[in-house]
Amino acid sequence: MIRRGIDWGEIAPLRLRAREVADGVYAGAHRSARRGAGVEFGGYREYVAGDDLRWLDRRSLLRHDRLVVRQFETETDRTLNLVLDASASMGFRGSDAPGAKFAFASLVGAALARIAVAGGDPVGLAYLAGEALAEPVGCRGGVEQFERIVASLEGVLPGGDARTDPTLLDRAFQFTVRSAKRGSIVVVLSDLLDLPEGAAHRIASLAQPGRVLVVIQTLDPSEAEFPFTGTVRLRALEGGGVVETNAEVARDRYLDALDRLTESFRRAITTRRGRFIKARTDEPAVRVVREVVKAIR
Amino acid sequence: MSFLTTLALAVALFVVAPYFAHRLRRRRAEEQPFAPARLVDPAPPEVRRRAKLEDRALFAVRVVAIVLLAVLGATPLVRCSRLSLQRQGGASFAMALVVDDSMSMSADAQGAPRFERARQAARELLASSREGDAVAVVLAGSPARVALAATTDLSAVRAAIDSMSPSHRATDLDGALVLATSLVSSLPQVDRRVVVLSDLADGHPDGPPLGEGGAVPVWVALPELRAERVDCAVVQADRRGLRVRVSVSCGPGQSALGRDVVVEDAKRKVLGRAAVGPGRAVEVTVLLPSADAAPVDARLSGADAIAADDEAPVVTEAGRGTIAVVVDSADEAVATGGAPVVEQALASLKLDLDVRPIPAFPDRVDDLAGDLGILLDDPSGLTPEQRHAMSSFFDGRGVVMLALGPRAAHAPLGATLEPVLTHAVAWRETTVSGADPQSASGLLAESAASVGDLGASHRAGLAPEDAAAFEPLLRWADGATLVGRRAVGRGEAWVVGLPFSVEASDLALRPGFLALLEAWTRTVRDRAVSKRSVVGVAWTFPGPRDVSATGPTGAVPVSRDGGVPRVVPPVLGLYRIVVDGKVEERVAAPDVRELDLRPRPIAGRAAGHGVGERRAAVDVSGYVSLLLLAVFAFELMLRVAAGRRAAPTGWGAL
Repeated sequence: MIRRGIDWGEIAPLRLRAREVADGVYAGAHRSARRGAGVEFGGYREYVAGDDLRWLDRRSLLRHDRLVVRQFETETDRTLNLVLDASASMGFRGSDAPGAKFAFASLVGAALARIAVAGGDPVGLAYLAGEALAEPVGCRGGVEQFERIVASLEGVLPGGDARTDPTLLDRAFQFTVRSAKRGSIVVVLSDLLDLPEGAAHRIASLAQPGRVLVVIQTLDPSEAEFPFTGTVRLRALEGGGVVETNAEVARDRYLDALDRLTESFRRAITTRRGRFIKARTDEPAVRVVREVVKAIR
Repeated sequence: MSFLTTLALAVALFVVAPYFAHRLRRRRAEEQPFAPARLVDPAPPEVRRRAKLEDRALFAVRVVAIVLLAVLGATPLVRCSRLSLQRQGGASFAMALVVDDSMSMSADAQGAPRFERARQAARELLASSREGDAVAVVLAGSPARVALAATTDLSAVRAAIDSMSPSHRATDLDGALVLATSLVSSLPQVDRRVVVLSDLADGHPDGPPLGEGGAVPVWVALPELRAERVDCAVVQADRRGLRVRVSVSCGPGQSALGRDVVVEDAKRKVLGRAAVGPGRAVEVTVLLPSADAAPVDARLSGADAIAADDEAPVVTEAGRGTIAVVVDSADEAVATGGAPVVEQALASLKLDLDVRPIPAFPDRVDDLAGDLGILLDDPSGLTPEQRHAMSSFFDGRGVVMLALGPRAAHAPLGATLEPVLTHAVAWRETTVSGADPQSASGLLAESAASVGDLGASHRAGLAPEDAAAFEPLLRWADGATLVGRRAVGRGEAWVVGLPFSVEASDLALRPGFLALLEAWTRTVRDRAVSKRSVVGVAWTFPGPRDVSATGPTGAVPVSRDGGVPRVVPPVLGLYRIVVDGKVEERVAAPDVRELDLRPRPIAGRAAGHGVGERRAAVDVSGYVSLLLLAVFAFELMLRVAAGRRAAPTGWGAL
């Protein structure tokens, strides 16, 4: 079902390319930005205390009386770590949406996994909350890994309250941090709506040097537009609160609050050199995947 | 279904219809899931409040307008009944209003206390009187009292009715009727009557019918007050250490089963609780968590006809009072072969007081705690410490009897009989053999003949100053005081001119001796302070000059009867009484008879035929029309103030 939702024709020409060279186990086609011991010369730089003396350029020392070290580029693979928000709010589907937010996020995640697997990169998957079979999928490569990820995504049902249980966030990130080594890519797919206090900084902390973080905020059209009219009673999917309001009066305030929330996540993530992408479930998944690939190139 | 019922239902529909229209319009929105609901603000308060206030005000105005319209339309059917008196040939009448202010009148009748209904009825009857009519007001709470003697000043009557306040006294309907009859029977008006405004619950449901055989016609004007109700009360709550013993009584055939006795402190914190068992009179023991001496109250949980008697202050149990007897037991035991003769005599009186023999008068007044009276048989004077203790004993309302004999006359140096006697006592031979029976007074009079010959060879003689200070109760045949008494401080001292030894005289062997002891012990009991007494029964304070009292409803007036201050507790509860600077606490408890709310029967002639009736239709259409106009004006003001809507065009405008 999820395979049918992925438009591979538009995404297939895109290749996941690395901007930074990862310290992976497997050699791949991605050029790593990391310089050090390797096979291809990468230039000189000033010696600093602690550098390996094996790479000290003796000729420069003798000729120019300067301490410089030689650098090399290495080829390595890049791990893709997907983190999907499977909390209850992700199960929401508005009247104008083609599917629930979790379904859309699964489609994007599976497409990214397909691209990564096609490029020979390992892929891992972790869930934030979730009710059933929300066990993480360890990082592996190969076509079978894509099948495992798709099977896992199909088996998970959104559930749980991430707002009242901050440990859900920690559990998901612990798994990701352990498996995401230098040079890996971490893609977080969430609506960012019902996350606990400080979630923005905890998500942003995944963006370490040598690790690329991409956060995709997935919203339903009704969440993005607030299309209600008259008096409405709205029940939160996490926390169970009910709000009765006049839609016309509350719309502007709601959109402002949503903008502030989005902006707080965007600021926290981009400050740490992460990428932030907004997505709506009624737009083509190809566009979102393409943006992700562009972002990590 | 009568026309009036149909009309009432139609009016009700008219009133309810706008409400439902309002509710339908304001029906709740359907709840729907929305993940970011926490980002959505509830409707701004000012918007909701404005809508709500405006709607409700208009709604209320409309409802009132409809009700008034309905009343206006139904005015010919509306009759406001009230009590009125019938006149015989238009002549003036003399009326005595007997208003029951007893505790049973605290029960509700038709949504208001019975007493208030009675007061209202008194006002209605007064409204039907006119110049020349004489009205008296008698209160039927026990004891029956005259609130206002018969007067033709109707404004004074109105003021007397307004100043009446409910009490928790027992009911004395018979006494009140006698008073009321006597007040109007001597008046010049030919037409005389007594109007009883009472629930007739005087604790004698089997008594003779009320209004039977009286000289003045009696009209029981409020028969609707005669309703049997269930009432239980806390009649006693005593504390000893950690235990609080609470007595609960109910009306005949009733019980407080299923209710609890709750002991609470002043802050209403529950300290203990116990369930009440079956039975009309039940005693319950509640254990307190600590022996803290802070005041506590006992309360009966649940509700019944009278709430005021469901709670009572807990007083510390004092136990039975005692009489201390100081007798030289060696001499007396030899003479009688058992206990001293005076102790045996006291035992034979079967008093409700304990007799406590002590070897000598104590040096400290603390050793006399619990003693109400002290009897000293021929004491050989009192040391300064003993005299101080005796003075303190008198200050605590103690009563002392001194039997004077040879030892009293030969007291050692420094030992005197102050504060009873200020001078020395003489013990001398006498030729007078006995007392003068004619001089006996009070209880001593009956058996005074038995002390006409006492066979005494000696007798005690008081100094003239001391003799003058005593009120003689029995004299020797030559006029000297044999038995006398005088007030000392707040207490009382008795002296007897002979010791109680059978060797000195035959006094202890004569019936008059028992009469003497009985008279003295009665005085002891009368002066003893009982912490709890029935509400409405006067507390007297013989001896003290300055008395003030504060009860649950504030200051209580102190009256004087023969110079003796007396305080009558009008309501149940704790009273703080200051007697010559010393503070006492007393409790007014309910009269168990007042828990019987069964009404007394009334004679057929007391139904009011020819005396009074409930009548008079009142046309209220004018007032209703004015009110209706005011309501419409108010609605217009509301609309103008709102300034947003046009004039209402239907239910939707609500």
